Amino acid sequence: MKKETKLTVLLLAIMFFGFSVLCWVKPSSEYSLTERRKLTQFPKLTLETAADGKFMTDFEEYSLDQFPFRDGFRSLKAWISQNVFRKSDNNEIYVADGYAVKMEYPLNEASLTYAGKRFENIYDKFLKDSGCEIYLSIVPDKNFFLGEKSGHLSMDYERLFQTMQEEMPYAQYIDITDTLTIEDYYKTDVHWRQEGLVDTAEKIGSAMGISLDGEYEKKTLENDFYGVYFGQSALNLPGEKMHYLTNDVLEQCTVYNYENDKILGIYDMEKAEGDDPYEIFLSGPVSLLKIENPNVKTDKELIVFRDSFGSSLIPLMAEGYKTIYLADIRYIQSEFLANYIDFHEQDVLFLYSTVVLTNSRTLK
Amino acid sequence: MLFSSISFLYYFLPCVLILYYIVPKTCRNKALLLVSLVFYAWGEPKFVFLMMGMVLFHYLAGILIGRYGQSKKGQAVLAGTLVVSIGTLCFYKFSNVAWPIGISFYTFQLISYVVDVYRQTAEPQKNLVNLGAYITMFPQLIAGPIVRYIDIEKQLQERTHNYEKTLDGIERFLIGLAKKILISNALGELCEIFKTSDEKSVVFFWVYAISYTLQIYFDFSGYSDMAIGLGKIFGFEFLENFHYPYISKSITEFWRRWHMSLGSWFRDYVYIPLGGNRVSKGRWYFNIFVVWTLTGLWHGAAPQFVVWGLLFAVLLVIEKHWLLKKLEKAKGWNHVYVLFFVIISFVIFNAADMAEAAAYMKGMFGFGNVPLMSAECGYYLKSYGILLISAVIGSTPIIKNVVMKATAASYGKKVFVVVRPIVLLLILAVCTAYLIDSSFNPFLYFRF
Repeated sequence: MKKETKLTVLLLAIMFFGFSVLCWVKPSSEYSLTERRKLTQFPKLTLETAADGKFMTDFEEYSLDQFPFRDGFRSLKAWISQNVFRKSDNNEIYVADGYAVKMEYPLNEASLTYAGKRFENIYDKFLKDSGCEIYLSIVPDKNFFLGEKSGHLSMDYERLFQTMQEEMPYAQYIDITDTLTIEDYYKTDVHWRQEGLVDTAEKIGSAMGISLDGEYEKKTLENDFYGVYFGQSALNLPGEKMHYLTNDVLEQCTVYNYENDKILGIYDMEKAEGDDPYEIFLSGPVSLLKIENPNVKTDKELIVFRDSFGSSLIPLMAEGYKTIYLADIRYIQSEFLANYIDFHEQDVLFLYSTVVLTNSRTLK
Repeated sequence: MLFSSISFLYYFLPCVLILYYIVPKTCRNKALLLVSLVFYAWGEPKFVFLMMGMVLFHYLAGILIGRYGQSKKGQAVLAGTLVVSIGTLCFYKFSNVAWPIGISFYTFQLISYVVDVYRQTAEPQKNLVNLGAYITMFPQLIAGPIVRYIDIEKQLQERTHNYEKTLDGIERFLIGLAKKILISNALGELCEIFKTSDEKSVVFFWVYAISYTLQIYFDFSGYSDMAIGLGKIFGFEFLENFHYPYISKSITEFWRRWHMSLGSWFRDYVYIPLGGNRVSKGRWYFNIFVVWTLTGLWHGAAPQFVVWGLLFAVLLVIEKHWLLKKLEKAKGWNHVYVLFFVIISFVIFNAADMAEAAAYMKGMFGFGNVPLMSAECGYYLKSYGILLISAVIGSTPIIKNVVMKATAASYGKKVFVVVRPIVLLLILAVCTAYLIDSSFNPFLYFRF
């Protein structure tokens, strides 16, 4: 028995000290691809940071971020949580019908009110007497389709839609929920798939008095797409194909980026190789863009206040407008918009996802 | 620094173990003192000097008391020392200044040291390093158990280190780590979900109350397991602090099984000096109420802690008066009685104030238009169901008894030899995985 005890202690010591040595010698990683964030680096040790405890706090974060095989350990935790403790979600993300879904719950009514106030501010400053036609459309998140069905908590979406309509009495509401199903979303990402949005674009276009042809060629990115929930869920979900739609009209459209003063196309194919391939759609998060369509006979203009869901949908409406402005007021103070856009008799669409509306503190 | 942190497990502890085992035996207490100060300073850089000052002060007091014995001078030194130690503790307890972690624990250890020297049950420690190592010893420094000087006096001079003790220590530490990370922290999440929920229901109130009762047990007993396990690795034998308190058949028994080091401290240094039960009935009840008021205040200078302590005082008086014999005969119901009052007590204990405690009581008993059940409660009950069942089973000796029975036979022993390291490694890996995935990790007993 003594021999076995000695062997057991030595085995445990080897494993324990082995991991400890790895922690000390492993070079720091800069970035986590699966979590899409910068990792904490070794903190600066000075008398001041040691005395006020900052070094210690930062070191705790560093030791967690830089732990060897971090992704593997996160997957192990997710597996144990799901299969041993049978938890219904892991970090509020669950998998149903192969889709990783964030459990959006409960309804944050204060956030809706705040969003309503931000939009009202835009209305009062730029739209009230501009002759613009104002529309509102809300993009449901994946929990809308799968929450109740899979036995997970689901916020009161009807109340959300109703509240936003009440917050924005100056806007005509376009309900797009009947044009969407869960298949129109990525399995591992928060976003919707562009190839599933032709009906949605037509419904919005029709409500705004434009007709869309809807003829596109579907192209596919070479690499598999792993969305934001792939890393957050840590459940090793399979990758999926990402498609985008194009035609002659879209290929000749130009997109002016006010942030870097550059003109690109609708699709920024350099982003296909980046950390988030969804950014191929209108170059990802940009505060202000202008799409110009040289092949349209109308002078109609559209101004879209939007979040990232608009990046893949709005190109499908390009054939109906000469100019489309896309403003993302999470990245630009709405007061500054008058420097770039002359508000006069355009169509104005507020296109926001339930995800942003219920977490609206970032709206400026 | 938390035991359940990557910085402790994979950075601090390996360095400490190497240092401890490479220095000459005569320097091991010096090494322990040094690393314990680093451990404390990691979380409380400012207050490490206060602790060192307290140790030095009580070291000198101990020598003086040893010299003067129980003479008037000795009594005066003891009284002065107690004024300083209790005064310091009260200053931080009752004022709004920042709270030095572990002060309640190390002050009680210092008091027990000087009182034991005065009572001549312990010799004054001549070596400042040894006394410093005893008080600041990182395994038990910030959340107990309250190790008394007389229990550790000889071990400070000489203690044994062997593979068997080390393996027992590793096993005990990892069991404590699993209790803290896998069960207590997860139950803590459920309690937080309840607190922020807008859909509270009667069932949800009870789910919360039971979850918190289990959380505090796994948190605190997990910490004690880790402390005892680390103690063994460094050659010490600390006394047990918990012994399956939730299987008690009376509140009297519960307090013999829950936070045993605190209970016995109050018994020996407050209750018995007050006269214990060898006094008139009125004085006896008075003694009980004094002890339990102080027990409540030890946990925090707020009304809910006093009410929590007084609730136990009332229950203990009732039990001593007539209920205890009846409880012995009431099989099954005695457990229901104990768990009911323990759950109620911890709801009061964990409330932000008495208003919240009262609101939670109302919710638990269906007053104030609270629905019986909500969809949210149903979801979380299902999601945390396995965890709650595991926690209930884990709070009883069932698993221990099964393992002991299985390993009693020679075949079982052979299997145990193979399975033991695998299970221990698995526990370490899974706890590491949970730590990396989550930052929700504070120990509940650090605030006391």
